[in-house]
Amino acid sequence: MRRGLISWSRDEVPASVLEGRVARLQDTMSATGLGAALIYTSFARPGAVAWLTHFVPYWNEALLVVLPAGAPVLLAAFSKRMQGWIRSVSHVGEVHSVSNLGHAAARLLEERVPGSTKIGVLELDALPWPVAEPLLNSHAKRLTDVTALFVSIRQPADQTEIKLARRAADIAVKALDSVPPRATRASQVLAAVEGSARLDGAEEVLPRLVPDLAVGSALRRIEGDLPLGERYAVELSVAYKATWVRVARCFSLNTPQSWLRAQRWTSDWATRIAGASAEPPPGDVTFWSLEACVGSPPFSVVASATGPRGTVSAGTLASFSIKLHLPDGPWLDAGPVVIGGGGPGRLLVSPLHA
Amino acid sequence: MPASLRAERRARLVAAMAADGIDVLVVAGNPWRSDYLRYTADLIPAEGHVFAFIDLRGKVRVIAELPTEAARFHAEQRDLEVSWSLSPIEEAEAAIGSYGSKRMALAPLAAVPYRLATGALASSMASATAMLDRLMLRKSPSEIAALRRAAALADEGHAVFREAARVGRPEYALVADVEAFFRSRGCPENFQILASGGREVRGMHPPTERCLAPGDLVTTELTPCVDGYYAQICRTLAIGSPSEAQLRAFDVYDEALAAGIAAVRPGATAGEVAHAQNEVFRRHGLGEYVSSEYTRVRGHGLGLYVDGRPAVLEDVDLVLEPEMALVVHPNTYHPEVGYFVHGDSVRVSADGCEVLTRAPRRLFSVPGD
Repeated sequence: MRRGLISWSRDEVPASVLEGRVARLQDTMSATGLGAALIYTSFARPGAVAWLTHFVPYWNEALLVVLPAGAPVLLAAFSKRMQGWIRSVSHVGEVHSVSNLGHAAARLLEERVPGSTKIGVLELDALPWPVAEPLLNSHAKRLTDVTALFVSIRQPADQTEIKLARRAADIAVKALDSVPPRATRASQVLAAVEGSARLDGAEEVLPRLVPDLAVGSALRRIEGDLPLGERYAVELSVAYKATWVRVARCFSLNTPQSWLRAQRWTSDWATRIAGASAEPPPGDVTFWSLEACVGSPPFSVVASATGPRGTVSAGTLASFSIKLHLPDGPWLDAGPVVIGGGGPGRLLVSPLHA
Repeated sequence: MPASLRAERRARLVAAMAADGIDVLVVAGNPWRSDYLRYTADLIPAEGHVFAFIDLRGKVRVIAELPTEAARFHAEQRDLEVSWSLSPIEEAEAAIGSYGSKRMALAPLAAVPYRLATGALASSMASATAMLDRLMLRKSPSEIAALRRAAALADEGHAVFREAARVGRPEYALVADVEAFFRSRGCPENFQILASGGREVRGMHPPTERCLAPGDLVTTELTPCVDGYYAQICRTLAIGSPSEAQLRAFDVYDEALAAGIAAVRPGATAGEVAHAQNEVFRRHGLGEYVSSEYTRVRGHGLGLYVDGRPAVLEDVDLVLEPEMALVVHPNTYHPEVGYFVHGDSVRVSADGCEVLTRAPRRLFSVPGD
C-alpha cells in the first residue's frame, strides 16, 4: 500500500500540463472514432491515470473515464468522505464514489456515450474481472483495446515529468548515502533508506537488496532480517509525485578496483544504450534492462538483454539497470535516463554512487 | 516466512484441491491482491502480474511480468519453475492450454484478468475462489502466532508514532519515523493512514504536508505485516492536554470498542459485532454518525490481506468461527471533535475472543508546545 507523501504541487505539476496530456489522448480518440477511453488504476498499476490526472490510489481501485471533450470523470471505489482528499491531490472533473466500478462505468457509458461508438480500454486483457464483467455484459461489442494508442502518446516525457524524475533520483541517492557505513544487517540498511526517502517526501520507496554479492546477485525483498556480506547491493525504486525511478548501488568497505572501472564504464550509460561506444565492458554483462512507464505499470521492460530489442522513442524517460560479472564478482547499477534524439542520451543522475 | 508454515499451507491447499477435484490450480495476483498468491505459493509480488500454477504434487510454476521479479522468486524458492514475459497474461493462457486434459481451476475472482476470465477456466473461478477463502478465513496456530507478533509490533509502532507526533512536524514525517522503525524490526509492509486537525477532519488518508498544531487530534491506523499477516491498531492522540469535549468523545468510542469486542465469539455474526458498537453511539445520541455518510466499516477481517472478510457491518451475516481474526474499530466522525479512531485486533477463541492488541486504550496526549 502507498503510505508516503501523496500531494499535488501545482508548481511542480501545473494543471495545464495535465490538461495537455488529456488533450493528446482526446485528439487521438477523435482521430480513431472512440466515444470514450477507460483507464483502470490501483496502487499496483497507477501509471496511466496518474500521468493524466495526478491521482494515485493509496489502496483500492478506480476507473478513469475520458470522453472526447471535457475533464475526465473518476469513478472511485472510495467512500464519499474521501472525495475531498481525491480532489486535493488530483485534477479531474466529476468524482463519483461507487461500490462497483464496472457497473458504474457501464451506466455512465449508457448515459454519455449512447449508440454503437467504440469504447477504448487501456490494457483490456489485464482489466480485473470484477470490473470487466459488468462492462462485458452491457457493452461487449463496443469494447476495444487501446493499449497501442496510449503507448503512442505516453512518451516522450515532458519537462514536468523529467523534473519529477530528477527529484525522485535525488531522493534515492540521498537515501543510499544514508546507509550506515558499517552495516551488518539488512534491517539497518532498510531502516536508513526508508526513513531518509520518506522524510524527503517520497510517495513510495520499494527497496530490494542483494545481501551478499559473494553468494549471488538476485535482488531480494527482505522480510525479517538477514546478515550482510562484506559486499552487498541495494536497489531503490522511488516514486515522487507519481514518477518512478530505479537507482542501485553496490556497497563494500574496501571498494575493489574492478568496481571503479565498472563505474567509469557505466557512467556513460546512455551512450552504451545508443551503441555509440566501442569501449568493451570491464566484465561480462550478465543482465541489462531498460524500463519505462508506457501504460499503467510504473515500469515496463522496453528493451533488455533477453527480451525486446525494439526501438525506444527519443525522449523516453526510462530506468536502466545492469549487472556485470567482474573479476571481483557480481556488480550492479541502475539509474534513470532520458533517451536522446539525434545523439547519445542525456543522463539524469550520475551512477557513481560507490 | 518459515518453511514449515509454507509446507503446512501447501498440505492444506493440496488436500482441498484433491477434495474439489482440481489437478492444477492457477492463481493470479499483483501487488494490490497478493494474498492468494502468498497463501498458495508464498509469492509476494512487488511489481507486475504474477501467475502461479500449483499441481497436486505441490510443484509450482510461476510466470512474472518483470525479469527482476522472476529472478527474485527463484532466489527465494529454488524449487520454483520461474519465467518472465512481457505478455504474462498471454503466457499464462498458453500455459493453461498446455495442461491438456488436466482438471484445472482459476482464482481469485478479484485478481483474475479479463482475458483469462473469459477463457477455458471461466466456469471454475467462483468455486476455486470460495475454496481458497475457506482455507484462509480460519488461521492455523502458526498463522495466529504471526498475527500475535504483528499485533505486538503494531503496539510498538504506535509508541514510535506518539514520539514522532510533535508540533510543527508534517504528517509524512510521522510515517517516515514509523516506517524506519518497522524496517529496523524486519517488517517489510505496513498499511497506514492518518489525519490531524479538528472538527473539519472527516476521515483518514495518506500523509500530507500539513504540520501538527496545538489542539489537534491525530488519528492513525497502523497495520504492520509479519510473515504476511497484518494486525491493526487504531488510536487517537491529542496535541497538548485533551479538551473536555475530546475526553467526552473518547469515552463513547472506548465504550463502543469494549461493546464490540464483547460481542466477538463463535456463533455471533459480523453484523452483531457492528450492532453492539453502533448501539453505543445511538444511546449517546450519535446514531447519525454510524451511517455510511460518516464511516465505512466497524472493523474487518485480518490475515494476508489488510482489509479482509468479514466486513463488520450490521447487514453482514457471516458467522464467526474460532481462529478467525479481525480488527474491531468504531472509527467515525464526531460532531464536536472531528474524526476519531479507536480499535484493537482480536482472535476469535473457543468461547469468546483474545484481544491481541496490548496498547492501552486511552486518549493519548503529547506535548503541545
